[in-house]
Order: sequence, then C-alpha cells, then structure tokens
Amino acid sequence: MSLCIAGLGWVTSLGSGVPEVWERLMAGEEASAERVSDSIGQKPYPVFRVPSTALQNLPAHPRLRRASAISRFAAAAGLAALHDSGSTFDDQGVKRITLVFAIANGGVIYTKRFYHDIVAAGAGAASPLLFPETVFNAAASHLAAIIGVTGASYTLVGDGAVGLSAIRMAEDLLSNDEIDYCLVVGAEEADWLLCDAYRRWRLLRSTPPIEPFHNPAKGTILSEGAGAVLLGRNGSIRIEKTHPGTYYATRREAGERLRQILEELGAGRSTTVISGANGTFIDLAEVYSISKVVPSATVYTPKPSLGEGVGAGSIWQVIIGAQALRTQQLPPLLHAPANLPFQIPTSFAASGDVIILSCGLNQQVAGLRLSN
Amino acid sequence: MTFTGSNVRNNRVAVVAAGVVSPLGFGLPETLASLQAAKDCITPVARFSVAQCRCKTAGQVADERLLEDLPNAKYGHQLHRASHMLIRALQEALAHDQQFKPEFAVIGTTSGGMSFGEDYYRSLHRHETLRNMPGWIANYPPQKPVVDALDLFGIRSGCQVIANACASGTNAIGHAFECVRSGRYQRMLTGGYDALSELVFVGFDSLQASTPEKCRPFDRDRTGMVLGEGAAILALEELGSACARGAHVLAEITGYGISTDNHHLTQPDPSGVGARAAMEQALRRANLEASAVDYINAHGTATPFNDAAEAKAISDLFGSGVPISSTKSMMGHSLGAAGAIEAIFCLLALQQQFLPANINFRACDEDIDLNIVANEPHSAPIRTVVSNSFGFGGTNASIVIQQTPE
Repeated sequence: MSLCIAGLGWVTSLGSGVPEVWERLMAGEEASAERVSDSIGQKPYPVFRVPSTALQNLPAHPRLRRASAISRFAAAAGLAALHDSGSTFDDQGVKRITLVFAIANGGVIYTKRFYHDIVAAGAGAASPLLFPETVFNAAASHLAAIIGVTGASYTLVGDGAVGLSAIRMAEDLLSNDEIDYCLVVGAEEADWLLCDAYRRWRLLRSTPPIEPFHNPAKGTILSEGAGAVLLGRNGSIRIEKTHPGTYYATRREAGERLRQILEELGAGRSTTVISGANGTFIDLAEVYSISKVVPSATVYTPKPSLGEGVGAGSIWQVIIGAQALRTQQLPPLLHAPANLPFQIPTSFAASGDVIILSCGLNQQVAGLRLSN
Repeated sequence: MTFTGSNVRNNRVAVVAAGVVSPLGFGLPETLASLQAAKDCITPVARFSVAQCRCKTAGQVADERLLEDLPNAKYGHQLHRASHMLIRALQEALAHDQQFKPEFAVIGTTSGGMSFGEDYYRSLHRHETLRNMPGWIANYPPQKPVVDALDLFGIRSGCQVIANACASGTNAIGHAFECVRSGRYQRMLTGGYDALSELVFVGFDSLQASTPEKCRPFDRDRTGMVLGEGAAILALEELGSACARGAHVLAEITGYGISTDNHHLTQPDPSGVGARAAMEQALRRANLEASAVDYINAHGTATPFNDAAEAKAISDLFGSGVPISSTKSMMGHSLGAAGAIEAIFCLLALQQQFLPANINFRACDEDIDLNIVANEPHSAPIRTVVSNSFGFGGTNASIVIQQTPE
C-alpha cells in the first residue's frame, strides 16, 4: 500500500517556504545559533531559532492570540502545505481532511512558566490561562480550528522518530475511503530548559557546528520550527512503504534496529538516505546500519544546517527527500568526516529511491521509502 | 499515480485479553468487586501538597502494591510509576492470553512521566545537582512507559502514543480497532495510562474544573471533577484469527467515532454537536440504531459544562431511556487512561450483565433528561454499550462494545 505527497510546508531556523529554504540548503548554509539563558540556571546554551520573518505570512486568528510558539510554527507550516497542494478546500472538502500532529516536547515554554509559578509561589499562583496551552494537543487543536477540521485529529508524542510514526498513522487513516487527505504536522519549540535537559543527558554540544557521523560523537544543537506534509492519493511523490517502527532497548541495539528497518524497507543499490544524524550516538548506529545494508547509498543529513528539531525533525527529512526527488539534487553534507563507509552527496541519480531514516534519542526508530 | 483504499475490509474485532490497574483495584476481579460494591475510591491527595488548592482529593493507586513482586527486578525503582502501572496492566492481559503476539501497540496518555519532569525542575530551581537528574529526563517522555512495558515482556513491536487529552484512551482503542478492522493488522495492543502529577492537578484546580466536594456527575449540584490515575490494556484481534486459535473472546468492538469540536480549547460546544457527531459515527460504523444501545458509560466529568453538553448530545440522539452512568464518580478522572479503564468497565458490565453505578448522585438537574444509574449498580440484560471520552482541544471519541454471540 502506498500514498502520495500532495503538499509541503515548513518553518525552520533557515526561514520558511520550501523553495527558499531548499535554496539555502543547496548553498551549504547553516542556521546561526543564538545563546539562550534562564534565571534558574547560569549556563547559556546555543539554539537555532526560527527567525521572526519566517512567520510574517501567518494570518491572524483568535486562536493564535495567546498561543505558544509551537502553535504558530505548526499553523504556518500546515497552512503552507495546504497552499502548496494547489487545492482549495471548501466546507465539504475540509470535512474530508484529518490531522495528525507529531511532537516530542510540546509547549515547553508555557509549561515551564506554569510550573515555575507553582514552584516559586505555590499552587495559588498557577495561571488558568497558561494551563490549557501546556496540554500536548493544544497546537493541534488550534490548527484544526484555523483550518476548520471537524473530523479526526490526533496528536502523537514520541522522540525524533515521531514524525515518521505520524505518517504511518496517516497511511492507516487513509485506508478509510471517507478521508481524502491527511495533514501531518511535526512541530517543536526550543527553550533553555530543554537544552539543559539534553546537556545533562550528555547529548548537547556547547557550540556549533553539528558534526555528524564523528566518532566519538560531539553532541547536537537544538532547534525549533515545524514541518507539514499533506498526504493524499494523488501527487508526484509517492510514499512507497512506511515501516511501523520499533524501539531499541539499549543504545548498543540501535544500529541493529535500524538495519532491520532498512532491510524491510527494501533499500536498493541507488538509494539515497536522508538521515537523522545529529552529532550524537545515533549517528554511529546509522553508519552501522547503512554500511551493512546499503553501502552504496548516498547519505545526507540536514541537521548541521537546521539543528535537531526533534518532533519537527523527521518531517523536515521527508520534505528534503521529496525535494531531492523533485529537483534531482541534494544539498552538500556539512561537517562530516572524510572516511565514511558510504557516499556523500555529489550528484543525485534520477532513478533512485529515497529512504528517510530516523533514530530518536529516546528509543524509537522508524523509516519510510519515497519515490517519484 | 493514484492510491485508493478501496480494498478495505470490514473485519470483526475481538477483545481477547485485558488488564487494569486503577483506584478500584489491581486486575479485573478486584475491579469487578469494586464496581459491584459501588465503592468510592477517592482519598486525600498524599503525593504532593494541595494546601493551596480548592480540591484536595483524587483517586490514587497505592505505590506499595505497584512495587510488590515486580515482574523483573532489574526494572526496580528507576522507572516512573506510570511505567509500573502499565506493566501491571500488560502483565494481566498477557496472562489472560499467553499466545497473543501483538504486531503493534497504540496507547493513550496525557502526561507521561510528568512527575519526573517536576522533580527535575524543582531541583533546578533549588540549584541542586542531583545524580538522578539524567534518569528523570530519560524516563519522563510519554513513550517511555510504553517502551518499558513492551520491552519487559519481550514485545518488539512499534508503538504510537496518542496524546489527545482526556479522549486519548478511547482514541487509542478506536484507532487500534480501525487498524484491525481494515485488515492492516491482525493483533494489536491498545489502552491508556496516566499517573497523578502536581502540574496537572494544580492546572485543573486553577481552572476551577476540579471540586472541593464529592464528584457528582450529572447531579444538579455538581461542582466539578476529581482526578484519578491508572492504566488499562486491551488485546485486540481479528475475530476469525482469534477463534481459529481458540482464544477466549471477551467482547467485540464494533464501532468508533471521532470528531473535533472547534468551539474552545477547554470547553465543549454547549450544543453537544461534537459529542453527538462522535457517537453517531460510532453507531454508523457499527451498523446500529441508537435504540440498540443498552448502556452508556458517559464521559461525565461532573463539570457543569461537560455534563450539560454531553447530556444534551445523548438525549438528542438516544432519548431519555438508555441507562447512563459516569464511573468517574468512583475513581476520579484518570485522563489518558480513562477511556481504556472505562472500556474495561464496559467489558465487565457485558460479562456480568450489570449497569455500573453513578455514585454520589443526589438530585436531578432539570436541564438534564437522562436515565442515570444512580448510586447502586443494577442487574440488566445488556448486549451493546457505548463508552464516551471527550477532551481539551475539542476531541470527542466514542466506541461501541458488544457481547459476542456464542
């Protein structure tokens, strides 16, 4: 069973607009890091922020008045994907759209503010305005209200692989003939608190760049934004196969689980892999699995340019895979070592499939295969 | 190129095993006994300070029992208690049907291991450096309890974790049902979990959605909800496959409806349009008329807005005759676990032919025209039940569960 990509949209640390950001990726640009700090900790951390210009075309809506950054990113990306499809959706059309949202950390900025008030001043100081925005499906609810979705809306939570899991869910949902389209949106907002957590988890790097595939791993830099993919039954890019995903019980197992996914996706000799390598332990797991299954593959990761967008990250990978198939080009792989056991992008073979591979930092792994 | 889903099958979907941990008990037998005794399991909150909250009670699962005879000692005390609840529920389900080999898991939650996030933030705020911070961070995410439970029992399937607020558990069951019904999968694990946390407790209190009084769903004098916690697992299998291997079929899930009500982030449309759409869709998927339904396990949070909207939706669709109760009156609202736990209450009601009670009910609301199962459970012939869950964000979910003909 396969399904097709009908529209794409994203908001990233390199801006918004699929062609615009793609051009910057092709030019080998990487986002510039901003250092963020917080009153509860002395240590500042680098973050790839979404520039304010990226949201300048986001229409005003009452639901977005108090909404957190993640909701704005998601709305901008989701509306862009609908627009990119070239379709117009009247009331009846919108009823046949479902929404699947993918997040890892959710509305962390408001959650921190809400809980900070409790810790600092007691439960009596808790804000009833902030609490609803801390709920994981708040961003999906806002986007559903903006678009007018009245049918199914799901929010999936997970790690960096959650975006691919959301596409798998969309495939399940589209097996129902009452649904024409499924809008899959992955989104994340960055905050000092997340950086601190990732640093204590020994996954964060203190300064850019992200250097993928190095051994030992040097750490990642968090970013924020959203990616959106409108899936339907017609489109120039086909999702040939989704994998239901699995998990690794220990980090040592991650490479084997990825190998299993690559084999089950049916990677061919001319495959291109859009990897999720981000400068952490997952890179070596990807190197292991790719070198075992498709050593002839050309491998690209967007993380040095865009940062680790967690919930948004694997949707960005899908958009890059679709763009690679559309344009028959791949951006240059940045900051990788010279001695990798696979190809790095020089030119892109017209006949090749694209595999999106995602190994999350918290045990989930997933993959899918695209073609045109 | 074109993809159509026109080859979709309409497989029948059996529930072949179940497990539950809630304030009403550990396992189906204890749960049944509590339901039949209409036990009030709401107790004073002990896990964190509620001195500044209006509400001071919740339905709580005893830690000492959770940690008794852990299925695997290596998992010990590092896991979140939400993991332990889910492990207990899965352990019971797998013990019911030892041959059940799931291909995939869909589980609902709202807040994962939230209290570990709270511990981490409090430590930061006090400028403490604690050795167990990395453990809190690694065990905080919502998918972690699911992976912990699957891993403990050697289940290598993938999982999806749905966080659709208070509808999460019913959404998880509904999506799993649709996946088996369509033929995409033959066997799935589904359910929900949530553990009480300070952030969520205070959040509902700040909205004045929770009550300092008893939880009185659909009562004239209802003043709000109390929170609860727990976990429940259901094993779903294509009926033919289940029968072929001689599995014991507990019931069938025959319908699922989901709708999104864009009225407000935290309040349902007062007309009940979203709730009604979910119930209508579930009945349509089950090929049933409303008159075929023998019992409705209502969402019934006991907040003035929710109960009024739900009651309007039910009475518009079903009339005022069908028996209804909110079992949250006995154990509180366990959020992402609620739909799954209440689905198990429905299984027990179907098996034992009784209507669970809506306790603490004193006076009819003149604006609510429903047949409430007030205060005591009743024996009744029931074959078809509907279970409702509605959540923040305007998510509405309903499932239809039916007794399987012999």
